Amino acid sequence: MSLAWRLLKAALSSLWAFRSYAALMMIGLIIGIASLTVIHQIGQGAQQQVAARMASMGFGADAFYISSGGGRLGVRRGMKRAVTLTPVDAASISRLDGVAQVVPHKNVARTQVTAGSNHTNTRVRGAPPGWAAARNWSMLHGRFISRADIGQSARVAVVGTTVVRELYGGANPVGRRLRIGRTPFIVVGVLESKGSSGWRDRDDIILVPLSTATKRLSRDDKISGMRVTMTDASRVEEIKGEVTAVLRENHSLGPGVPDDFLIITPDELMKLITRQSRSLVVMLTFVSAVSLFVSGVVIMNIMLVAVSERAYEIGVRRAVGARRRDILYQILMESLMVAAAGGVCGLLLGILLSYLATLLLGIPTAFSPSGFLWALGFSAAVGLFFGVAPAKKAAGLHPVEALR
Amino acid sequence: MIKLKGITKTYYRGKVETPVLLGIDLHVRPGEFLAIMGPSGSGKSTLLHILGLLDRPSGGSYLLDGSETSTLNDDELARLRNAKLGFVFQAFHLLPKSTALDNVLLPFTYAGHFPQDAAHRARHALARVGLEHRLHHRPGEMSGGECQRVAIARALVNDPEVIFADEPTGNLDQRSSLEVISILQGLNAEGRTIVLVTHDTAVGCMCRRLVRLIYGRVDSDEIIAEPTQAMRQLQTLMEAAK
Ligand SMILES: Nc1ncnc2c1ncn2[C@@H]1O[C@H](COP(=O)(O)OP(=O)(O)O)[C@@H](O)[C@H]1O
Ligand SMILES: [Mg+2]
Repeated sequence: MSLAWRLLKAALSSLWAFRSYAALMMIGLIIGIASLTVIHQIGQGAQQQVAARMASMGFGADAFYISSGGGRLGVRRGMKRAVTLTPVDAASISRLDGVAQVVPHKNVARTQVTAGSNHTNTRVRGAPPGWAAARNWSMLHGRFISRADIGQSARVAVVGTTVVRELYGGANPVGRRLRIGRTPFIVVGVLESKGSSGWRDRDDIILVPLSTATKRLSRDDKISGMRVTMTDASRVEEIKGEVTAVLRENHSLGPGVPDDFLIITPDELMKLITRQSRSLVVMLTFVSAVSLFVSGVVIMNIMLVAVSERAYEIGVRRAVGARRRDILYQILMESLMVAAAGGVCGLLLGILLSYLATLLLGIPTAFSPSGFLWALGFSAAVGLFFGVAPAKKAAGLHPVEALR
Repeated sequence: MIKLKGITKTYYRGKVETPVLLGIDLHVRPGEFLAIMGPSGSGKSTLLHILGLLDRPSGGSYLLDGSETSTLNDDELARLRNAKLGFVFQAFHLLPKSTALDNVLLPFTYAGHFPQDAAHRARHALARVGLEHRLHHRPGEMSGGECQRVAIARALVNDPEVIFADEPTGNLDQRSSLEVISILQGLNAEGRTIVLVTHDTAVGCMCRRLVRLIYGRVDSDEIIAEPTQAMRQLQTLMEAAK
């Protein structure tokens, strides 16, 4: 114990003695490990966010989502999509064997919403009564859309807390009026806040009965998408095939004509997200691997020079009884400690940068203990690997030559 | 204790051969205070390095405590240096960033296990050379004489059988030289074996046996009946200075 402590102390004090060298050696490592940490934290953040979002959408393994408009998952973003699904489609799908529930919705184009002298611009969505339960929304005040509302295409609205804040200054608006475009509505309920999911504020929303959205707020009776829940998660692939057949028939798509809808399963969504973040992670990992390698070479060369400068010290140690391997371990220990110190600094810098990325750029990041282990492991490996040549050089010095 | 027979040493630099020791026979007995003298380049340091197991001879036999050293490997030589030998060099060879105490503790770091009473023994060794008030000074903060005394304490701390000193007074003024030699004489009086290299006749005459080396051979080997007492010289010097 005491000996180990003395060896550690010796390594620390020679690092301190050669601190300007040590600082130089650590710079590259700090950059490499910091960027590795940022990559890792961005990846973790994205994954956590996606997982949270999928959970909040009620997206379990037993459900999938059908979206209007064709194309491929992941490459449609930003493209204006044709709205192709209809309430008839929803009805056909709900009749399929193994389908437990179909929850359609209709997005109304963003419109001006006014209440008294306040106005805002928000997402308006038509939804059926089952929508709130299916997506894990609960009520803060009042009630959700009812079956009767659908039957009458009632002009009632359920609002998110952001809307409450902007239109009513935060006061409970149940029973009060608002206008969507020119159409007057009565507020019947307020949704419990869900917070932001990074790129969008989920409380910035107004829900109206689906039939009201199709009949009173837009010129068509099409729907934007629907969530389909299966009675049995193992039948997802099978029912996906049946749904495709039904929709192609409903839309009279001939052979060779591509689908005008897109079925998104949780599996595919997860794959897409990990594929996107993986390519980013691979790229940045390459960048930090290069900087780690370069810093390793820098460490090696500086330590080689330091060994020549310290030949005398090595000679003294050999004269009083240090074996070759004692010198070898000493130099390895030093390079390991430089690297570990650089790794810890890099990790701290990376955590700080990730925090700044979240604070200033709104990029979601998350810390994970595995990132800490990776950072330390990587830098220790760099230190050990590139410390071997200097350590061998030091251990190979002849005591008499070293003392000259 | 030490028996050299036919020790030779030839340096090779590329194709150039430099024969330095041409066959040294030497017997060092316990408790001796031996001076090796000779002109510069006669191979004194080379011989001392071989005696101190810092270097290997090119030929011949070296028995330390009756066992042959030429068959030992590097690690075994290091262990012997650590356990049985102590070194004092002309240029002190202290670790410049370490305190006197840490310098003296250095041999224990390589002793296989770090003794419980290491710090106590190091303090004791420093007290033995009169430096109990310099424990936490670094070499840069001490005089040459003090540095050399730290080096002696370091050579002494693991209770070696022999202390080797290569021109220990070579970098010191007269007074510091006398202090250092008087410490060595005191150690020898307590029974410690010392082998010292010098080209200074005055220093040579303070030892109890004098071996002269010329061109890599032992030229003479004599006992000094009445070595000069460094302590007395030191007192004379101090009185003269008053
Ligand atoms: N490593 C070496 N390579 C070649 N020649 C050396 C080496 N070391 C010492 N010598 C030569 O050996 C001779 C004896 O050196 P040394 O033992 O240091 O002499 P001294 O200590 O008596 O002055 C000198 O001529 C010196 O140049
Ligand atoms: Mg010499």
